[in-house]
Amino acid sequence: MQTRTGDIGSFVFERGNRGSLRRVLAVLVIVAALLLYVGGKVKIVQLGYQIEALEKEKRDLERENRALRIEAASLSSPARIEEIALKRLGMVRIAKENLIVVKQQPKAAQRAK
Amino acid sequence: MDRRGRILLIVALIALGFALVAGRLVYLQVIDRADLAARAERQQQRVVKLESKRGTIFDRQERELAVSLEVESVYGVPSDMENPRQMAQQLSRILREDPKTLERRLSSDKHFVWISRKVEPGRAAKVKDLGSKDVGFRFESRRFYPKKALAGPVLGFTGMDNEGLEGLERTYDKELRGVNGWVLAEKDAVGRTVFPGGPGFQYRLPKAGNDIVLTIDEVIQHIADRELERAVTTARAKGGVCIVMDPGTGELLALSVASAHGRPAFNPNEPQQYRSGEWRNRGVTDVFEPGSIFKVVLAAAALEEKVVHPLEKIDCSAGSIKVADRVISDAHRNGVLTFTDVIADSSNVGTIKVALRLGKERFARYITAFGFGQKTGVDIPGEIPGLLKDRRLWSGVSIGSIAIGQEIGVTPIQMAAAYGVLANGGMLMKPYLVSRIVAQDGGAGKKFTPQPVGRAISKETCAKMSRMLQRVVATGTGKQAKPTGYSAAGKTGTAQKIDTLTGLYSKKEYVSSFVGFVPASSPKLVILVMVDTPEGDIYGGIVAAPVFRAVAEQSLAYLQVAPDDAGGGMLLVNR
Repeated sequence: MQTRTGDIGSFVFERGNRGSLRRVLAVLVIVAALLLYVGGKVKIVQLGYQIEALEKEKRDLERENRALRIEAASLSSPARIEEIALKRLGMVRIAKENLIVVKQQPKAAQRAK
Repeated sequence: MDRRGRILLIVALIALGFALVAGRLVYLQVIDRADLAARAERQQQRVVKLESKRGTIFDRQERELAVSLEVESVYGVPSDMENPRQMAQQLSRILREDPKTLERRLSSDKHFVWISRKVEPGRAAKVKDLGSKDVGFRFESRRFYPKKALAGPVLGFTGMDNEGLEGLERTYDKELRGVNGWVLAEKDAVGRTVFPGGPGFQYRLPKAGNDIVLTIDEVIQHIADRELERAVTTARAKGGVCIVMDPGTGELLALSVASAHGRPAFNPNEPQQYRSGEWRNRGVTDVFEPGSIFKVVLAAAALEEKVVHPLEKIDCSAGSIKVADRVISDAHRNGVLTFTDVIADSSNVGTIKVALRLGKERFARYITAFGFGQKTGVDIPGEIPGLLKDRRLWSGVSIGSIAIGQEIGVTPIQMAAAYGVLANGGMLMKPYLVSRIVAQDGGAGKKFTPQPVGRAISKETCAKMSRMLQRVVATGTGKQAKPTGYSAAGKTGTAQKIDTLTGLYSKKEYVSSFVGFVPASSPKLVILVMVDTPEGDIYGGIVAAPVFRAVAEQSLAYLQVAPDDAGGGMLLVNR
């Protein structure tokens, strides 16, 4: 049989070579299926890496959130606020002379007026 | 060989190569499969621990008092370390560890040693800046107390493995701790973790610890801490206790324990800096002879049994009274006093005369009804029941001694609960610190409600006692306890301590106390103040009463309780 370089198409489609065509196609299908299978596995591993990275990011953010909550709680402690009020802002505790107690009369007495 | 033969030979060799590869594949994947799979599993799979978060402790307004946070622990790989001495020097400066101890650890032939656990983030960053490949980091959970020393002896602290060791951290360790989880993960050639997912994915999710909400109010606790510490420092005392309690429910709004003069208040962030006696909650673990503050028990019992009337005159002019073989004197000479004034002026003679009328059987019954001689059941570890002799073992002098608060040992929490009886109309309430447990997994949680223990006295007797104790504050030994704008009722105490060397009452060491409730017209708070061994002034009316006043004024203002007594400079306007 003569082979013609540069003319694979007509070589393949010549009547006597249909059996070879089927064999090549079968191999291609099998290879494609195998590639799909392996590709799927690789994708799962890659997604696993992404999950791990996202989990780590989530843990880091949660950790940061908790640290900020602790810092907020510490900054709002009564001892600290009192020290700032007294020493930095110059505030003083209320003296009894500055207290005015306003007693509200019962509503019935108010209406009578 | 002709051309066809050569082609056949090449094809045969290629086929042989493929056959060998195929054969090897069959051998590896079929014959040796089980062994190789097991080795792969050991190398590639690992169980990753999912640490549960320890629950948070909140005050009654849901402000954080104890929180857990993941911080980095530093480890070393000594087997790979080239210069352990140099590394130890560098690390000891950053981590404040002993360089010799570090060098010893890093010079071993181990593959893993802890260098410092749960370090502060700033220090961990500095270690990372060293850029050493022989030092690694691992996250571990660490407990933080953001309010530092506030309620330190109440909260307690945890150990290195996050187990509760003292205080509420220990009592409620099971609820706070949670359950660790795990996941079976795979790791790749460079050690990255891959979670496989899909069918067969093995894991157990961690169960977070429950949160706990206390009855403690952070602001009232701070007020109590500050005022008590000021008094202990001024008096150069050995310590003190201040308890603020809601008499109607038994909820503890503050439980302050002051360290000895000159010692810092216990900060649970650094428990190793303190002696064990300094993190002990003296409000429940220590017993003291209460002295005159105990006279209210005798007074209430006598009024309830109607053996005396508040206005009945009692002759205290002798200045002393003999009970069995002991002579007990008054601190100062009194004349003929009403029973109300016997209590207001704290006359031992008058008190003992009434006690002898009551008799030991009835007196002992009321002592028990007020909760003495038994634990209150408050949720702090280490509570003791106090010291109370069985009445069958009382000597001839016991009735007189116990009536004036000697020959009996009480804890501060028992004393506060007893005054709660007088403030709430006669019911002994169980004091408690935890309001509710909040489940994290959608579970039911738990709520704690007030628990009455039993009725000690009637409402009528309570009303009489309140009037008598208001007299103590108005004209008696407790004048310095009167809070501006509020009525108050209470009793002073100046109790001699036992000299441990001689076994006799000391002439130098006293416990100064004041216990009472405010406002007397409609009690919202019971406040107990106890100062241990003050120097200089020793009287309860001088050392402890001012603390009561300061705590009462500030706490009632914070709680927005309207003043009920506008005297003393306060302007009262009717609108």
